[in-house]
Amino acid sequence: MRSSRLAAPTALLAAATLALAGCGSDSGSSGEVRLRMIESLTSPERTKLIKTLIADFEKANPGVSVELVSPPLDSADQKITQILQTKKDLDVLEVRDHTAKSFSNNGWLAELPTDAWPGWADLTDLAKKKTVEVGGKPYLIPYGFYQRTLFHRTDWGLTQPPKTWQELYEAGKRMTSGDRFGYSFRGGKGGADYAVMMISAYNGEALDPEKSFFLKDKRTIFATPEAAQALDLYVKIFKEASPPDSVSWGYPEMVQGFTSGVTGMLIQDPEVIKTVEESGVKAWSTAPIPKGPTGYAFQPVGYAGWGVTSFSKHQKEAVKLVQFLSESKQSIAFAKGNSLIPISKQAQNDPQFSQGAWKAYLEAQQDPQQVITIRPVDYPGWSQFNVDSDRDVQALITGKKTVAEVLTSWDAFWADQGRKVS
Amino acid sequence: MSSVARPAFTARKARFIALCLLPGVIFVVVFTYYPMIRGAVIAFQRYNLFDLTSTPFVGLENFRSVLAEDRFWTALRNTGTWVVVSLFFQFFLGFGLALLLRRQFRGRGLYQAWVFFPWAMSGFLIGLLWRWMFNGQFGVVNDLLLKAGIIDERIGFLASPGWAMTSVIVANVWYGVTFFAIMIMAALQSVPGELYEAASVDGASRLRQFWHVTLPHIRPTLALIVLLRIIWILNFPDLIYAMTGGGPAGGTDIVTTFLIQQVIGGDYGRAGAVGLLVLGLLLSFSVFYLNVTRFERSR
Repeated sequence: MRSSRLAAPTALLAAATLALAGCGSDSGSSGEVRLRMIESLTSPERTKLIKTLIADFEKANPGVSVELVSPPLDSADQKITQILQTKKDLDVLEVRDHTAKSFSNNGWLAELPTDAWPGWADLTDLAKKKTVEVGGKPYLIPYGFYQRTLFHRTDWGLTQPPKTWQELYEAGKRMTSGDRFGYSFRGGKGGADYAVMMISAYNGEALDPEKSFFLKDKRTIFATPEAAQALDLYVKIFKEASPPDSVSWGYPEMVQGFTSGVTGMLIQDPEVIKTVEESGVKAWSTAPIPKGPTGYAFQPVGYAGWGVTSFSKHQKEAVKLVQFLSESKQSIAFAKGNSLIPISKQAQNDPQFSQGAWKAYLEAQQDPQQVITIRPVDYPGWSQFNVDSDRDVQALITGKKTVAEVLTSWDAFWADQGRKVS
Repeated sequence: MSSVARPAFTARKARFIALCLLPGVIFVVVFTYYPMIRGAVIAFQRYNLFDLTSTPFVGLENFRSVLAEDRFWTALRNTGTWVVVSLFFQFFLGFGLALLLRRQFRGRGLYQAWVFFPWAMSGFLIGLLWRWMFNGQFGVVNDLLLKAGIIDERIGFLASPGWAMTSVIVANVWYGVTFFAIMIMAALQSVPGELYEAASVDGASRLRQFWHVTLPHIRPTLALIVLLRIIWILNFPDLIYAMTGGGPAGGTDIVTTFLIQQVIGGDYGRAGAVGLLVLGLLLSFSVFYLNVTRFERSR
């Protein structure tokens, strides 16, 4: 009697539990394979483009469907990390250069088979190199690269783009008057990246590109007198050639500064090409990033790509999806849609990647003194340094810290990291 | 007779109620208590996202390293400013709005909806919105002040610690006034009309009515919503994070944005320690506040 009275609510509870558990099910009723995929660098246009590529994949692979999860950009990596910690319901994910090491360290990424995949031969050398950059194993296939270039107005009295940081400072100072400023300075999130770029250029040949925060003699790049010269100039560029407000500028503000006619120069990724083309700015051009007095410029190539989780129940299909997205047709479409440096050799024949604003990239690639470096993302303190160094840069340009204080603390931090890793 | 049947009925009823409550209890345990306890445990571990294959217990090491950091103490001082100043303006402006909105006038409903609208928005979104409005070069606030002749040159609202703190507080006041207006208006509507009538008959002025009738009646509500709001403001890093990221140079860092930075830096152990410190701070304050306001004895 009693048990029959309890049967209804118990059944209801059981049904609700099953329904909740079924939310993340990965197999359709008719034996169809359903993959779950998550992106990180989310934007509305990009999501639309990925969905189009996924639709093509589904068409080419009947019986496989893909559900795309698109978390908001600012918290996407945290969300991906949380999902990975549960080791549930995720097959394909976007892996960034910042996250690749920790994801692989924790055993969340599967190695991707590259030998038997015909598309491997079509990848550029850079793409192949970055595929196995973390631990020498293919945990992701990049979908494109972010490399910085100098955007500059050609109607603000600048006949030639600045070739060195010193020239950039002088040109910026000349451009600055009233509501116009020479340079889109990044003082907010990601600002320390630019300080490191200058410090690297001032260290020149002594720098070890494979371990870009260290010199060939194993000291850190922050321990030299050249580093202090670079940071001194960095502060001068802010104070004399940039909007005072740029102490808090991040990516959107610095781009907006350039496209709205507030600033005359900007150093940014190729995705900005599209933004500038669509803005009202008519007279502009691009050039390789400035060099230091050593004649060298150093910068890392930012990248992200698609990877497969180690706990995916549909490894075969997930790998198939990653390979499909990395094939020339799809990867070129993705690179075009997002203004990225493509991973496919075939893209070199595409006029979009060899003309106009893109020419600066070709120019940089052909210059042996425009050197690509590897960020120290495989050091345990990398993430913490990103947070702290941005703070330090703001403290430096607002006069709360001196050049010596900043460099001493960075040097101590990385010397300690060097000991930990070696 | 009934004394025999009743316990059986009560036990059955209790079982049924327990069964009905079970899904809710499970939900709260899984989504509130489990993460809280897990976070507390992590505070005593070396728990770095870089390598989760080794997470040994390190005792109070995370607490020691957090408390040894100047940035934490700066964040704590900023938290005091952020909470006290935000609360002061939110409370008094909210009170004023509630008194205004209590009256009958044309379009009152529309006006109420317009006033309450900020409360429906996410803190992060509000932060982004104000970040652009306060921008020194292309922000609307500078434009309006220039056009009105109040300022001669643009102000870098987010470029110096003082201005940045003022800016985030302004945005927070804009957001939080609504809460006080809603709650105080509800409390005001609970004051019986006959009390005012009696006070009028006794010749009490509007001010005396407010002081001797309205305030005593709504004091318990005020005490509670002030406490709630203190807790919420302290636990509201979204707005600051979107607006300034805690900058410039930590000038708008509060303890919860400091905590977020530990998470982004991948050090969940230290983040857990900061979380427990914040929890301890809030608990101590709440006990102290409730004792001071003698809330438990208020009617």
